Amino acid sequence: MRQVLPVAGTRAVRAYAVSIARNHPRMLWTALSLHALAALAALAAPRLIGELVEAVETGTTVGHVDDVMLLLAGFLLVQTVLTRQARYVSQSLGEEVLAELREDFVDSTLALPVGVVESAGSGDLLTRTSRDVDQLGWSVRWALPEWTIAVVTAVLTFAGALSVGWWVALPCLLGVPPLVLGLRWYLARAKDGYLRENASYSQISATLTETTEGARTVESLGLAGERVAALDRDCADSYVAERYTLRLRTVFFPSVEIGYLLPTVATLLFGGWLYTRGQVSLGEVTAATLYVQMLIDPVDRIVSILDELQVGAASLARLLGVGQVPDDRVATGAVPQGEKLDARDVVFSYVEGRPVLHGIDLSVGVGERIAMVGPSGAGKSTLGRLLAGIHPPDGGSVTVGGVGLTELPLDDLRGHVALVTQEHHVFVGTLRENLALAAPPGAGDDAIWSALAAVDADAWARALPRRLDEVVGSGGRALTAAQAQQVALARLVLADPHTLVLDEATSLIDPRAARHLERSLAAVLEGRTVVAIAHRLFSAHDADRVAVVEDGLVTEFGTHDELVAAGGSYAALWHSWNGDPSPLST
Amino acid sequence: MARGQWHTLLAGMGFGIVWMGSQAVLPAVIGRAIDRGVAAQDTGELVRWSGILLAIGLVQAASGIMRHRFAVTNWLTAAYRTVQLIGRQVVRLGGTLPRKVSTGEVVAIGTTDLASIGQVMDVSARFAGAVFSFVLVAVILLQTSVPLGLVVLLGVPLLMLLIGPLLAPLQRRSAAQRALMGGLANTASDIVAGLRVLRGVGGEAVFLDRYRRESQETRRAGVAVARLQSVLDALQVFLPGVFVVIVVWIGARYAVSGRISPGELVAFYGYAAFLMMPLRTATEYANKLIRGRVAARRVCAVLALEPELRDVPDPAPSPPRGSELYDVRSGLRVRPGVMTAVVADDPDQVAHLADRLGLFAAEPDDDVRLGGVPLTRLDPTEVRRRIVVSDTGSTLFSGRLRDRLDVAGASDERVLAALRTASAEDVLDALDGGLDGEVAERGRSFSGGQRQRLVLARVLAADPEILVLVDPTSAVDAHTEARIAGSLRGHRVGRTTLVATTSPLVLDAVDEVAFMQAGRVVATGSHHELLAGDPGYRRVVVREAEPEGPLPAGRGETEAAR
Repeated sequence: MRQVLPVAGTRAVRAYAVSIARNHPRMLWTALSLHALAALAALAAPRLIGELVEAVETGTTVGHVDDVMLLLAGFLLVQTVLTRQARYVSQSLGEEVLAELREDFVDSTLALPVGVVESAGSGDLLTRTSRDVDQLGWSVRWALPEWTIAVVTAVLTFAGALSVGWWVALPCLLGVPPLVLGLRWYLARAKDGYLRENASYSQISATLTETTEGARTVESLGLAGERVAALDRDCADSYVAERYTLRLRTVFFPSVEIGYLLPTVATLLFGGWLYTRGQVSLGEVTAATLYVQMLIDPVDRIVSILDELQVGAASLARLLGVGQVPDDRVATGAVPQGEKLDARDVVFSYVEGRPVLHGIDLSVGVGERIAMVGPSGAGKSTLGRLLAGIHPPDGGSVTVGGVGLTELPLDDLRGHVALVTQEHHVFVGTLRENLALAAPPGAGDDAIWSALAAVDADAWARALPRRLDEVVGSGGRALTAAQAQQVALARLVLADPHTLVLDEATSLIDPRAARHLERSLAAVLEGRTVVAIAHRLFSAHDADRVAVVEDGLVTEFGTHDELVAAGGSYAALWHSWNGDPSPLST
Repeated sequence: MARGQWHTLLAGMGFGIVWMGSQAVLPAVIGRAIDRGVAAQDTGELVRWSGILLAIGLVQAASGIMRHRFAVTNWLTAAYRTVQLIGRQVVRLGGTLPRKVSTGEVVAIGTTDLASIGQVMDVSARFAGAVFSFVLVAVILLQTSVPLGLVVLLGVPLLMLLIGPLLAPLQRRSAAQRALMGGLANTASDIVAGLRVLRGVGGEAVFLDRYRRESQETRRAGVAVARLQSVLDALQVFLPGVFVVIVVWIGARYAVSGRISPGELVAFYGYAAFLMMPLRTATEYANKLIRGRVAARRVCAVLALEPELRDVPDPAPSPPRGSELYDVRSGLRVRPGVMTAVVADDPDQVAHLADRLGLFAAEPDDDVRLGGVPLTRLDPTEVRRRIVVSDTGSTLFSGRLRDRLDVAGASDERVLAALRTASAEDVLDALDGGLDGEVAERGRSFSGGQRQRLVLARVLAADPEILVLVDPTSAVDAHTEARIAGSLRGHRVGRTTLVATTSPLVLDAVDEVAFMQAGRVVATGSHHELLAGDPGYRRVVVREAEPEGPLPAGRGETEAAR
């Protein structure tokens, strides 16, 4: 039932990159041209030094030397100013693009279909939110600009070298084969290698974390040896992964170095040979050698940043993938007549061929309280989700007032049915923000206070130093589990749906707070239709009717008394719970 | 730490020296090649010097990769050794750990501190090379021209110092940006963690707005960093550039006057450019050394902790099997060979009792006795072997399910029987690979109820003489709970079991129930006897006694059952 979020394809990533570039034409071109100009200014140095060497060789005056050097200093000043501007513009552009990327990602995350949110689990999404956004930040903020600058510089430096004479291209060509071959070999393996390496470090950290958190369990069960072995194993795995990437670099680095070395040597030899034949001047040979040496730095950056970009692109693909999840509901515009919730012949499976529900019929009267009981894995929670419109049924129908739940726009659905789970997340923010998110637009503090009062939470809320402005959630004031649950319940009061589906809503609460909370919950349920997936039997016995769900079917359905009288599996459970001296039979 | 790996460190330094040294002499060789080969139009000399250039280049490439290999080895050795030391310390501290350090601190060691310590080892080889090559270049330069050599040798460090003042404000702005980025990441995680709520009751627009706002604030902080960073980037072009201009200027005047050759002029240009590298390495070394020392101090702080539970110098002989466990303080007797339940009006008391029975209390006392001997007088290892406490905070570790359940080297049959008793066979069926399936970190891929049943199966498979279970079924549904309660006693027959619970389904299935009020056992008997005879017990166990139930009857169709 775990659904894996998609990863965008290469084409989608490319299209997105192009669209981002198109959105900032001015900054992009400004940055590129500034970098180009800065690179051009840098090209003056080898030329001028070459000229100087030539002049010294042929005999010159101190005055000429001073002139040349002043010119060199001037170019340096121009290069400095241009570099500063170019860097500033490209770094700002990087920040802007990055902000756009992450905001788009959060936008698509917030638009994920509820069915996907409920079944995908937050692990994958959290990884994308933290690691991929980080990785992409690094790529966009650092790798991409550096790489672009390196490309511009390399192209212009090469052009500068060619301006000395066409012959310079020949020695440079010598460096291409080792460079290209090494790079192709390396890039084909690097990404997986480094991903594995990173994963191995995550594993070390995970093992260390769980050992630390479970230190007490380790001691009480005598797991020390096993834990130490696990950590040693993780280190060994990490070592294997590290050895692999080290081997990649052992081949790659020297081949690249040779790719840099060959052109320098060849330029000297070739240039020297041309000089003996009188075809080039000494200054030209010097300038050419210096240009070729100057090429090393940008080319090295181009080469070494490539795998960084590869990883960045993979992160981008994962972030864009979140936006590619298709919506699972189609709003038809039909308006429900009344508030009656009906499930008819409902069939559902998470995985094809493994149905969880095999034809459920359940008709819930307006204002009725229904308790669902049954063993784990019988399909109670799944049925609850379908009744709350989280998933569309594969067969049959789940309707409210005659309209299918998944045919309603999400905003409308929330006004009809809400699913209440054990989860009670408190967002980082003020107490007001935590509640207002569920309130209809324009609702004021009065509505929030009365919702808090309804769930019996106004006393502690008023006692907070800054009341509704108190910052809660992780890093802020810590709410107790019971208070967090009350906040969740107050949200429901504000959202005001006529029907609630409770999925073990109070099961994970501290038993000390349970009774207090049950009063809060009772207040929320007042005047609403309720389908409760019962965890404890005492909640079942107070319901109007009890549905026993076993193996994806409703096997018993009736009032508590009817079911107890019928003597089925519910009756057996009830007697045992209640301490009646009847034998336990399940 | 460094002492343990001195030979690889030394080898790394050696290669670092060869590597930077060969880079340092490259300009000289190019200069010679231009002078003797090109300018003199001597083809033999040209080929010879080009050959030397090629050879030195190859030496540089080879020593470079060897240096890198040793650097990585040093890094890894240091990092893994740190992890292993910390891991061993964590298991040694056991239950003491949570009281002494936060999980976050240990986790930080596993991530950032690890990298900091490794980096010191990595950079040390390059630092050695940097020092060596600086001296080498200095010697070459001073031999050619003393004043020019001095300009280079004094000028380069001076330039590095000039960049210094810019670094402090830059680091401040970067820190501010990093803090905002951290906040932004937290907001995003917060949104993802609460996505069910947001998609369930609304509020997406509010949170998107908030994220946008923070994202833009982070962007502005980033631009503020860029404003300074770009100046620094430009200075890194400018300062070496100025230096090159000065060196070449002086060199060119010398060349005009014939004091140096044109090739030497080219070499000087090369040295001036090259020297930036060893100096940058030196600054890097200083930075990383500082960070590494901070990390090492943190590691040492954790390593210095001592477990609260010391070994007993002369332990009392272990009482015979089948001895009674008795707590003087609460008056609780856990009779050997039967299943006892303890019900408390205050859950805190239960947690505290379990801590004391398991020798986990912050301050161990002499009140818990096994066969009349205080637990504190026994060898702690022996106590751990005989009494196993499994509470609601028990962690399920990651790995192969079989290995995680079978902690005592039990057979598959025993593990499967334990799973059957814990009613966890459905978890086994649903897991890919069954017993060979993988458990995710802290069992996160399982639901709370599944995890609880697996934890129960684990202690059942361990089969200790005395088993203390705290709320073993608090997260499972009534049907499953009934099944577990029905088979638990049979599974533990002949061994001693204490269950702390308030569930009537479980209480109905034990031999004896002890009811604890305000930390003292006030009544013992069977579940039914206590239900009938003790109103306080009835109030704790059967919640219908409360005036308000969780589901007030909607339309009054049902009456209270009794």
